[in-house]
Amino acid sequence: MSVLFGFVALFALILLNVPIAVAIGLVAIVGMVADNGFVSVYNAALTLFDGATNFPLIAIPLFILAGCLMNTTSISRRLIDFCLALVGFIRGGLAMVNVTVSLFFAEISGSAVADVAATGSVLIPAMKKRGFKPQFAAALTSSTASLAIIIPPSIPMILYGALSDTSIVQLFIAGVVPGLIGASLMFLVCYRYALKYGIPKEVAFSLRNLARSGKEAGWALLLPVIILGGIFGGFVTATEGAGLAVVAALVIGTVIYRDLEVSQLYDALMEGVTQTATVMLLVATSAVLGLHLTETELPQKLTLAVTQITTDPILVLIIINVMLFVLGMFLHGAAAIILTVPILMPLVNQVGIDPVHFGIILTLNIALGQQTPPVASVLATSCAIAKTDIWSTTRANLPLIGVLLLVLLLVTYIPAIPLTLVEMFYR
Amino acid sequence: MRSLAWLFKGMLEGISLGLLVLLAVIVVLAVIYRTLGMSLIWYDELASVLLAWLTYFGAALAALKRAHLGFTGILTGSPLFTRKVMFWFSEACVYGFVLVCAYAGWYVLRIFGNESLVSLPIPLSVTQSVVPIGFVLFAIAQLASTRSAYEELVLQTTSREDFH
Repeated sequence: MSVLFGFVALFALILLNVPIAVAIGLVAIVGMVADNGFVSVYNAALTLFDGATNFPLIAIPLFILAGCLMNTTSISRRLIDFCLALVGFIRGGLAMVNVTVSLFFAEISGSAVADVAATGSVLIPAMKKRGFKPQFAAALTSSTASLAIIIPPSIPMILYGALSDTSIVQLFIAGVVPGLIGASLMFLVCYRYALKYGIPKEVAFSLRNLARSGKEAGWALLLPVIILGGIFGGFVTATEGAGLAVVAALVIGTVIYRDLEVSQLYDALMEGVTQTATVMLLVATSAVLGLHLTETELPQKLTLAVTQITTDPILVLIIINVMLFVLGMFLHGAAAIILTVPILMPLVNQVGIDPVHFGIILTLNIALGQQTPPVASVLATSCAIAKTDIWSTTRANLPLIGVLLLVLLLVTYIPAIPLTLVEMFYR
Repeated sequence: MRSLAWLFKGMLEGISLGLLVLLAVIVVLAVIYRTLGMSLIWYDELASVLLAWLTYFGAALAALKRAHLGFTGILTGSPLFTRKVMFWFSEACVYGFVLVCAYAGWYVLRIFGNESLVSLPIPLSVTQSVVPIGFVLFAIAQLASTRSAYEELVLQTTSREDFH
């Protein structure tokens, strides 16, 4: 009963504008003090430090730093030029470029917001000029960026892996096939849009043009090979891969392309520090909530309650998906992962769902949550760039949200889609 | 007062940036040393501590910029009186939480005695001191940005002191 009261209080505090990290910490500390007296706050202080020292999470600031470095060099522009030569000859070419660039960018930065910031500022104005409605341009940039968090590296996957003790490398490889299916479906949506509104091809296909832009973007294209090759090849851990991403972006920006803009870099770094700290403070305060939940045995009680109704993984996943979809509308992705993983993992393990499989389901729900207002961080960033209203953009986004939903259903009920590569290479 | 606020912001930015760069350098050095067959035994432990320090100094910086994740939808859509009540309630919750954490974080430092990190001779009381220090800085940052946040969220006018 007191736990139920705690969760009601938590959501009330969040709705009353209390920062989520503070609301989580406050509810946890009040609950602990109510159960065990004031001495519990000393345990909370120790847990606040321990919660922020989770080693795999070091990858988060490093991938954010790599994304910042890329955004202040010509790496993003070169990738866009290459993708234009690669797929710009298809009808509605700029939309195809948008999807393709996000795939490449995802393989380097791991952050949907970084993706929107890097590609949106170039592609959204260009798409508007080409006759795409601004709402569709914003919606596509936002949805492709969210799809990109399924493709490694991915900050939500790092967060989930660290909180649930699941292999981050296996999560990364499990995301590849669902990501490619989602991208293919988004290509189809773009093609249909181009036919409907008479959007022309962007450029004629030319091997010479492709070779030239490929040469110019060669080092940028090498970045994913270095990062993912290192991680999947077992040469480095995900954290060390993130370190390599920083060095590679720095060397390519300063030594090879020589166009790193130091004045922009400082602002980007400060943005990176802020993003890291907001997520990490959530992690730290959620560790205190985790301590409180362990004391109250909530995860075990929830597992017992659900398994008394059903132990069928399909039904359990339906319940979890509906719950995550609703949560995603109101919570930032990191907060949703941090709040749900400690509570749901015992249930997931009890009914025999593979934790890697569940990690991909969770990440896809986070991607959907980034597209569904009122709290839709990535969509909001994209709307700010396109100068569009979030609700009209959401209407234009419905077919793309449909794609994400379809991929979620495919991944949920056909576990072979995410798990085949994992089984082939890691089990 | 204004110059003090900018000095405070500069200090938080400098420390946070230094910690981020140091963290990246240590991770890269660890990969190089391991490749050369000379693994750094202190790498995991020190990197984890640096992450915690980055978390709390960065959290104070985020408080100064009012960048912590939250939901402002109901507050900004409410009438003026409700906005005022919600704003001050939220501020009170933040001060209550950070001051309790700062006190508890300071209190527990004494239990570490002469204990130090396993791989380096750095006292645990030093590494863990980031909790009370970080939360005190958080409280100061919250205080320094109250006026601009009030103008932006409650009065819904452009903030005069932009820390973003």
